[in-house]
Amino acid sequence: MEIETLAKTSYRARRPFPWDAIFRHAILIGFSLSILFPLFWVLLLSVKSIPDAYTNKIWPKQFDFSHYGYAWKQIATLPRNIMNSAMVTIASVILSVLSATLAAYALVHLRTPGRRLIVGLLVASMFFPTRVTALVAIREIQKNLHLLNTAYGLILPYTAMSLAISIFIMRGIFEGIPRDMAEAARIDGCGPWRTLWHVMLPMARNGIVVVVIVNFVAAWGEFLLASTLANDQEMRTLPVVLASASGGQGAWAWPRIAAVYVIAIAPALIIFSLTQRWYMQGLQEGALKG
Amino acid sequence: MPSNIPAASRSLFDLRRQRIDGSNILTSSWFLLPSMIFFVGWQLYPILRVLWLSFTDYHFLRPNDAVHFIGFGNYGDAVRDPVFYGGLWRAFMFTLLFLPGMIFIPMLAAILIDRVTQPKVATAYRIILLVPSMIPGPLIFVLWKWLYSFSIGPINYILVNVLGLFDLHNAPQWLGDPNLTLPSLTLMEWWWGLGFHTMFFLAGLGAIPKELYEAASVDGAGEWSTFWHVTFPRLRPILLVLVVLRFGSAMALVDEYLIMGGFNRALPTYTWTVYMWEVAFNLWNQSYAAALGWLGAIAMLIVVGFLFWLFRSRD
Repeated sequence: MEIETLAKTSYRARRPFPWDAIFRHAILIGFSLSILFPLFWVLLLSVKSIPDAYTNKIWPKQFDFSHYGYAWKQIATLPRNIMNSAMVTIASVILSVLSATLAAYALVHLRTPGRRLIVGLLVASMFFPTRVTALVAIREIQKNLHLLNTAYGLILPYTAMSLAISIFIMRGIFEGIPRDMAEAARIDGCGPWRTLWHVMLPMARNGIVVVVIVNFVAAWGEFLLASTLANDQEMRTLPVVLASASGGQGAWAWPRIAAVYVIAIAPALIIFSLTQRWYMQGLQEGALKG
Repeated sequence: MPSNIPAASRSLFDLRRQRIDGSNILTSSWFLLPSMIFFVGWQLYPILRVLWLSFTDYHFLRPNDAVHFIGFGNYGDAVRDPVFYGGLWRAFMFTLLFLPGMIFIPMLAAILIDRVTQPKVATAYRIILLVPSMIPGPLIFVLWKWLYSFSIGPINYILVNVLGLFDLHNAPQWLGDPNLTLPSLTLMEWWWGLGFHTMFFLAGLGAIPKELYEAASVDGAGEWSTFWHVTFPRLRPILLVLVVLRFGSAMALVDEYLIMGGFNRALPTYTWTVYMWEVAFNLWNQSYAAALGWLGAIAMLIVVGFLFWLFRSRD
């Protein structure tokens, strides 16, 4: 302690003015502003009057808040597209959180034969460009299951898409829970299901938040599979609609498409702002170890 | 040593338990079943199925023709296909542009945030930097397509109308000019990945014992030599993992190219992945697309393997 305070005071004495702190904050504020500016710009664009949007002024002369209502009512398929995205995302988040939690628990706390092989395959799948290379066969599978050109058919490949990373996040979390806890529960007569439910899950909350957010963001914004597997405007998800909408014309006037954009990015940002404390803890507890 | 004894007896106990009711293996397979259905069904099987297709002459638009095994025919065509190896080269150029900034900018950000002494301010920086990682990639690309837009984008508005550096005749076409396309995409990727990669480095910095810094400052080490001898060696493992992971993902990007460049072969965004997509789903020659997909993956994995070997042998 004494050495520490000594070191600090001598440090202060040598540098009376905190140039380094000012420099540090200047760079970090620069980073923060460049992160926030594009988001701020698109938010402003969505509430600009149409003439202001086309003359490109960053700060509009006249605000117009009607674009959100207009997009919802006048762009015929938009509510349907939002519903598609929501349904597909919620279903695949639930499926992958369940699957990943069960699998990670089995890999860490149960006697699982072939554990090495499974982990090896999962790791290999993360280095292999599966989403590109497997596309031809995934379309074939969906066709054979009569799921082509349906929104809900996307749930299956979406669940598989982030499964490996989800299992590794949960594995990191479960490895952080002492083995003695599982042992004690078993001696008390808990089976593996009850141990998982009553002992493990309450301690894995932060990890589950990370897995939910990772899967939510991946599924909510997925573009490649959605544009390959579902072609009808009715069946499209929100990112495909936004990527294919050429802005500037009629119903897709810039402020209106910007309003759709803000609707599209809002859910994940809201979830993040509500759970960021647990998310940060989850990252520290083991999600970043994988 | 004594701690080994209970561990050994515990595993003996486990074995006995297993032999009596056998439930352990059975239950663990129940736990693994859902993941394995999805993993095998929509990851492992498709990859192997594509591998099989790549050795045949299967064509989607000729469903009634018999499918023949043609050995390495498709691969032979692919290695002589200038669109394919040109596309691999473009992906490689992008990766080289992208990697340094994707590693060192977040490292700088992490080192700066790690030194912020007020915890609340440090948390605020972390949260702001993480915001883009909460936006799905394809939506990021849509946003940046607008930011770079010639007519409505704020970047050219600032350059032309505010700063007056350009006029409407010579203002940069960020995505349309082949010389600017890849740098523009790189900037976007840095913006997107900054926060998430910073978190990796912050986790690494948090694991460095503070005594090391105190010892260094007692020894009279300056900022730079402290960084070089104390901080950097401990961040190196994270750095290497990120290099390997990001190299792999950067070589196989496809969404940003499809959204920002479409199927315009003149643009550098037309890489091997876009070519594979076009062959598979616009030209429907799916066995050839399968070979392109596997060949691209193999080319990429060779470099990933080389990077692994390179980093292994030095440690």
